[in-house]
Amino acid sequence: MKLLNSTARGSSAVLAGALLLGSLTACGGSSQATAKADTSTLTLAIDSDSASFGFDPLRVSAAQRQFFEGLYDSLMTLQPDGSAGPGLAKEFSYNADKTVLTLTLKDGVMFTDGSKLDADLVKANLDRRSDPALSAYSAVAKGGAQEITSVDVVSPTQVALTFAKPQPGFEKNLASTTGMIVGKAGVADTASLAATPDGSGPYTLDPSTVKGNKYVLVKNDKSLDASNYPFSKVVFSVVQDPQARANALVSGQADVAMLTSSTVDFAKSKGLGVSQIGGTVNTMISFDKTGKTAPAFASEKVRQAIQHAINRKALVDALHKGDIPAWNALPKDSAGFTDELETTFAYDPEKAKALLAEAGYANGFEFTIIASAQTQTDLQAVQKDLAAVGITMNVKMAASTDEAFAAVATTPLGYAPLNWDNPVGVMYGVVLNGFTNVQKATDDQLSAATGEAAAAKDDAASKTALTKLNTRLVESGWMIPLYEALTNQGYNTKKIKQVEFAGTNAYPLLSSYAPAS
Amino acid sequence: MEVTMALFITKRLLMALTTVLVVAVLAFLLVHAMPGSPGAVSLGAGASQEAIDEVNARLGWNDPLLTQFFRWLGDAVQGDLGISLIDGRSVSAALLSRLPVTASLAAGATVLSAVLGIALGVTAAVRGGTVDRIVGGLCGLAVALPAFWIGIIFVYLLAVQSSVFPATGYVPFEVSPQDWAMSLALPVITLAVGGAAFIARQTRASMLDALQQEHIRTLRATATPTWKILYIHALRYASLPIVAGIALQFMGLFGGSVVAEQLFAMPGLGQAAQSSVSTHDAPAVQGVVVIATVVVVAVNLALELATKFLDPKLRAA
Repeated sequence: MKLLNSTARGSSAVLAGALLLGSLTACGGSSQATAKADTSTLTLAIDSDSASFGFDPLRVSAAQRQFFEGLYDSLMTLQPDGSAGPGLAKEFSYNADKTVLTLTLKDGVMFTDGSKLDADLVKANLDRRSDPALSAYSAVAKGGAQEITSVDVVSPTQVALTFAKPQPGFEKNLASTTGMIVGKAGVADTASLAATPDGSGPYTLDPSTVKGNKYVLVKNDKSLDASNYPFSKVVFSVVQDPQARANALVSGQADVAMLTSSTVDFAKSKGLGVSQIGGTVNTMISFDKTGKTAPAFASEKVRQAIQHAINRKALVDALHKGDIPAWNALPKDSAGFTDELETTFAYDPEKAKALLAEAGYANGFEFTIIASAQTQTDLQAVQKDLAAVGITMNVKMAASTDEAFAAVATTPLGYAPLNWDNPVGVMYGVVLNGFTNVQKATDDQLSAATGEAAAAKDDAASKTALTKLNTRLVESGWMIPLYEALTNQGYNTKKIKQVEFAGTNAYPLLSSYAPAS
Repeated sequence: MEVTMALFITKRLLMALTTVLVVAVLAFLLVHAMPGSPGAVSLGAGASQEAIDEVNARLGWNDPLLTQFFRWLGDAVQGDLGISLIDGRSVSAALLSRLPVTASLAAGATVLSAVLGIALGVTAAVRGGTVDRIVGGLCGLAVALPAFWIGIIFVYLLAVQSSVFPATGYVPFEVSPQDWAMSLALPVITLAVGGAAFIARQTRASMLDALQQEHIRTLRATATPTWKILYIHALRYASLPIVAGIALQFMGLFGGSVVAEQLFAMPGLGQAAQSSVSTHDAPAVQGVVVIATVVVVAVNLALELATKFLDPKLRAA
């Protein structure tokens, strides 16, 4: 049906075309790609909101160190090789039995509120350790394996930390968020830290920050260490979607981006640099080694059967392309890593069945594991492997956060990523006395190996102790490693020098990012 | 007639206020039905029961529900939507800073979808035949494709492959109008595709009806210029359902911008809603729901008034 003549039809078509073209071209303009690189600003695309709880560095864990490193100084600092070096404390010393650590503080450190660093301020910070909201202090709080029993002012520039038990090597804890010091006003009114940081770090928070989306840090002229940070402005851009983060890097909105392994090839294909490091082992953890919630788990042979029943390579090929199947509890870069575990606990369903029969479970057994949205798919893959040897693992989604946390006491097995940057800390704080051992199981070999690792005086002794520790963790089935997830830092090679990690820490030092030329 | 109009506006305003109030009550009750208490949420899993009880008592969580609701309502009408449990900041200030992002997205996508939709709808109705079928087919496809998929394709083609637009981020207008437009371009186009198809269908049907009207034939017989017939007389006649469609689009886009905000990492209300729900930040959840409701109710009210203005028969009623 033609209602109008050809001229009318023509005019409507032209108008429609013009509108369509106009609407598209109106959005055009200068190309992002051709814009000259701005070396005064470093933009990092990160995967989550580092300051979702505000700007109190003690309310976050070590994983947020990189962001808070910009705003706050720590008593010790993480060094490029992963060791702990001087920070706000220029020197430290232990007493003979390693129960007292005395720190000597740096002079001339000023906070954004105008207050100055002294021993009283350090004590005021550390005396907040009983506050349950302060994640950074969870390991040193009362009852913990690394409990600090008192903090005493020795002199205006010296402070002594007394521990419940000997703590050789404790100084490394002070190189993370645990050691970050908040200024006097922030400590006096902690609620103010929700919106306003109060640190002495190399940067201060710029008002152009949009909480939860973009954190803009600008150089703090009063900082003694500001010159060690190459960029005058650092922007942390929160991009939760992994593909969107890769896109932001490729199209130039970010200079550095945290990439998931699945987007690494895409980034490389676009000519971007990618630095990778392991260190985080996704592990099934035996919560119950005494058989309280599932009698079968009291048997080491049952836990070893599970080690043999899981096809780790198939799991990685199917679900985590680019990551590394893991038979070791400790990561590949750890001194305690050993190839032997790969053959000792190789995928062998028949051996798993034999071990189950020896333990008295020839017909298998049944138990339940609590899953989250992040772990459900992995657990379903493991569920299939376990079913093949006769073990029925029911995967139940956590109905609430309470249920997920309670799982450590109500179910025999859990699943979590574990970062082993500080193995002794993980053993004392998580494995031997921490939340993964609410049934209070003991293992003499594990305790001895941890003690040896803590007391090791040189690299050789440390390697020997950590190898023992790693081997025993797997052999005992306290840890059932699945795969080592790689942390990937994609970067624009035209603007940024190759990204380097600090030892085995998964988050590069903020000071380590440098312009390409 | 002026009295009738005043009465009409008063009635509609009262209905709008009632709607906002009902939604506020529902949001309040839903938040109270969520597992966990504010104390548990703000202190985290390791907190002692005493510490949790102390925070709950400070926030008045143990007061009767009615007392809590009227306290919240009293503050809300003064512009105070409470304090976030997660970061202790003002919910009103946080949401108001995000409002321009979502409003820009929704308004931009509505304008673009209206312009494209009307142009395509008029073209299809006027030209008929193959053009009509092509427009119809494209509209069917555009309505069927999910917005996030369209967004991914646009990002890949126009940001990753050709770097025409930024792939992520939002630049406030006051910082740089040009960068603001650039940062909005892809999300706006992403959201506008489905809307344009919807409006095109609406426009086509209305125009076909309008072009068959007696007064349009009379205008053609009196040699009135074609553009006048189409865009002044016929489109005005056809405008009621089109305007309704555009308003519906705006309301839908305002509430549904979360997809674009996630995909393009934009700090809008959708992103705030998602993060406050996942962290069980009750005051923030309530705030987002109330602000979104106020906007939708206001647009609905404006639509009714516009309809009254556009249709003489309704105006006289």
